[in-house]
Amino acid sequence: MTRSRVSLLAPVALLLFAFPPPASAMHISEGILPAPWAALWFVLSVPFLIWGLHDLRVRSEREPMFKSLVGLVGAAVFVISCMPIPVPTAGTCSHPCATGMAAILIGPALTVVITSIALLLQALFLAHGGLTTLGADIVSMGVAGAFAGYGVFRLATTLGVSRWPAAFLAGLLSDWATYAITSFELASALHGNASLGQTFLAIAVAFCPTQIPLGILEGIVTAAACRFIEKRRPGLIASLNQPHGGVA
Amino acid sequence: MFSLFSDFFACRDNRFSRIDPRVKLVVATTAIICVILSTSVALPVAVFLLSVVTTLALRIPVRLVALRLAAPLGIVAVLALLQSFTSGSTPLWSVPLGAWTLTATREGVHAAALTASRVCGAVSVVLLLSLVTPAHRIFHALRWFHVPQGWVEIAMLMYRYTFTLLDLTADLTAAQQLRMGYAGAGRALSSMGAVCGTVIIRSVDQAIRTHEAMVLRGYRQQIPFGPMPPLVAQDCCVTGLAVVALLLLYAAVGRAA
Amino acid sequence: MKRNGLAIEAADVSFAYQEGTLALTDVDFRANYGEFIAMLASNGSGKTTLIKTLVRLLKPQKGIVRVAGREIGSYPQAELYQTVGLVFQNPNDQIFGATVEEDVAFGPRNLSLAESEVQQRITDALKAVAAAHLRERAIHHLSFGEQKRVAIAGVLAMKPSILILDEPTAGLDPAGEGMIMRLLHRLNRQQGITVILATHSVDLLPLFADRIYLLNRGRVLREGPSREIFCDRDLIAQASLRLPYVSHLLDDLNRLDGVPIEGMPLTLGEARTQLLKLIPDEVIVKPPAKEQR
Repeated sequence: MTRSRVSLLAPVALLLFAFPPPASAMHISEGILPAPWAALWFVLSVPFLIWGLHDLRVRSEREPMFKSLVGLVGAAVFVISCMPIPVPTAGTCSHPCATGMAAILIGPALTVVITSIALLLQALFLAHGGLTTLGADIVSMGVAGAFAGYGVFRLATTLGVSRWPAAFLAGLLSDWATYAITSFELASALHGNASLGQTFLAIAVAFCPTQIPLGILEGIVTAAACRFIEKRRPGLIASLNQPHGGVA
Repeated sequence: MFSLFSDFFACRDNRFSRIDPRVKLVVATTAIICVILSTSVALPVAVFLLSVVTTLALRIPVRLVALRLAAPLGIVAVLALLQSFTSGSTPLWSVPLGAWTLTATREGVHAAALTASRVCGAVSVVLLLSLVTPAHRIFHALRWFHVPQGWVEIAMLMYRYTFTLLDLTADLTAAQQLRMGYAGAGRALSSMGAVCGTVIIRSVDQAIRTHEAMVLRGYRQQIPFGPMPPLVAQDCCVTGLAVVALLLLYAAVGRAA
Repeated sequence: MKRNGLAIEAADVSFAYQEGTLALTDVDFRANYGEFIAMLASNGSGKTTLIKTLVRLLKPQKGIVRVAGREIGSYPQAELYQTVGLVFQNPNDQIFGATVEEDVAFGPRNLSLAESEVQQRITDALKAVAAAHLRERAIHHLSFGEQKRVAIAGVLAMKPSILILDEPTAGLDPAGEGMIMRLLHRLNRQQGITVILATHSVDLLPLFADRIYLLNRGRVLREGPSREIFCDRDLIAQASLRLPYVSHLLDDLNRLDGVPIEGMPLTLGEARTQLLKLIPDEVIVKPPAKEQR
């Protein structure tokens, strides 16, 4: 067992000192996933996309401008996810996922939809992520990120936590959830004859110098953004967040 | 970052950008699937070389190609290291590292090489596709492939207003920077929060006005898509030939001996 | 399209926003078919609100809006929007398509027209705004002036008989400003489209506008041909506006220096004629004949 422990720690050490993980670490690149795994994640993402589109239809019927709203908020979230955040521990810039923010604004199911679009655009224009890995990226970023963020935000606000600390938790957990699921997706596809758990840990540890602080930073930015919106446009978040959607 | 996100090259006119987007989507998808199904390094490397040569032949700057490939290659490097050292059983060589010894295995290195070649091959295909096809033509084609209307509509709106909001973000950030908004970590984070908040508020206002303007031009809850030009025989031939060629290539060199 | 009578009318219209701001008070606004009308007003004087009531984006609490003599509420959507078109101030509000062609096609396609008719309308509309060469271009690669023209084309493709424009020249360079005004003039004179534009740039208006509505704080201060509006310097100042620079200069010469200027010249041409009358022939050195225009 000593060898496996060593093999686990060594690359991490290498990484930390010689090679900080790349900026868009949490998108699975085109070509990494073998076909069956790529297909599996696609299949898993489809129900959530259908749910999101159903949500869109229902809410557009009640509020005619809802579609433009989702498109525009989607664009805003996409732009935010392109903003570089300097991560001190990794010495590079990384990018927020912004899925927590999106889920707070338009709900988790629609966040899956706009994330899928953002991922397609990023795959095409920035070579971040990819077409065949779209399913896996939707599950990790869209589904895991949005539902974790939204869940904790609702839970916290129901428990009486005020909105911006709840937003902090949403940003933090959505980022970490994405990170965990991505690591799992990579490990399950790539562990070969090594154990799944060990590979998962290795990958998780390899990316933790970027992802742990990035999650915290993302939480802070999400909270700051929420507080800013609350100050400038009180009631906006609450009105967007109603199940029937709309703008006060 | 902002300048990278550009479809400047996709809007240029050349032999490849004139091909019907549906043809390009089908061929590119087939190529990527062949690449990720391949169990030998040869096919992905062949596809990679082919796409990169084509890309450069279209006079896309080398710098841009390298920049776009850099991000996925970074991840690949990490994963390749992990795979070389963590999986497999036949020792290949060892690296002494302080008290430990790192052992790379034959299987691990092979798996790593395969993963790396697959990523290079597949990413280069997507890169080529994106450099010769503007996004709006891809959306149009997706609608033709029966991707749901709601999804495509939102994708169009997102794509269109991303540029507007990117400009806004760049202006806001620059204005903050000029007034010391990014001096110190705490101030930087709160400045970023303010930018995010402003972008979101602006997007909601923009949504209201965009919707009003759409209603005034007869919008009835569905953006109408014009007809796609009919697929001509030439398009079908190109698609057929390319797909067959890829499958033959897969059959010939796609599987490891 | 030439018809007589009222194209669009707001009678005694008042509008207050939900938070209580009174944006319009007893506004009477009328435009006849084929007229070129300017709403001249400083920022925040209610012109955008008035425009929005004219296209039914806002419903006034008091008063009535009629289009072609019919109450605006009675129009079905498609009919109303093929009668009245609105060009927004910021082209970003309006243009959402990714390419020029796609965006201009939006209106006609919503009308479920045959594809050949859609294409024809795109061609015509782009030609009318001198933007035929932009057809295939992506919106985000256009200059601001080009975006403005494409936004106008998008509305023209609906073939409205009344075209309303909110600040069509705001943010444009002098050449762009002149270009927009000339093409609106052409649309008005050649195609008989009733043009209503809101603006606070005064220099070009006397050349183009048949009538001007001077708005201030949600009220109509005065209405009439540009000559009548601009003859009252105090009224103009009251509305936080100014005379065209050339009129200002000649008015100052008249009032402060006693130069005998008749009336109020509003355009460069008028001013030139007036000054030439006053300058003795012997001080004028005639330029060579070929350079005379």
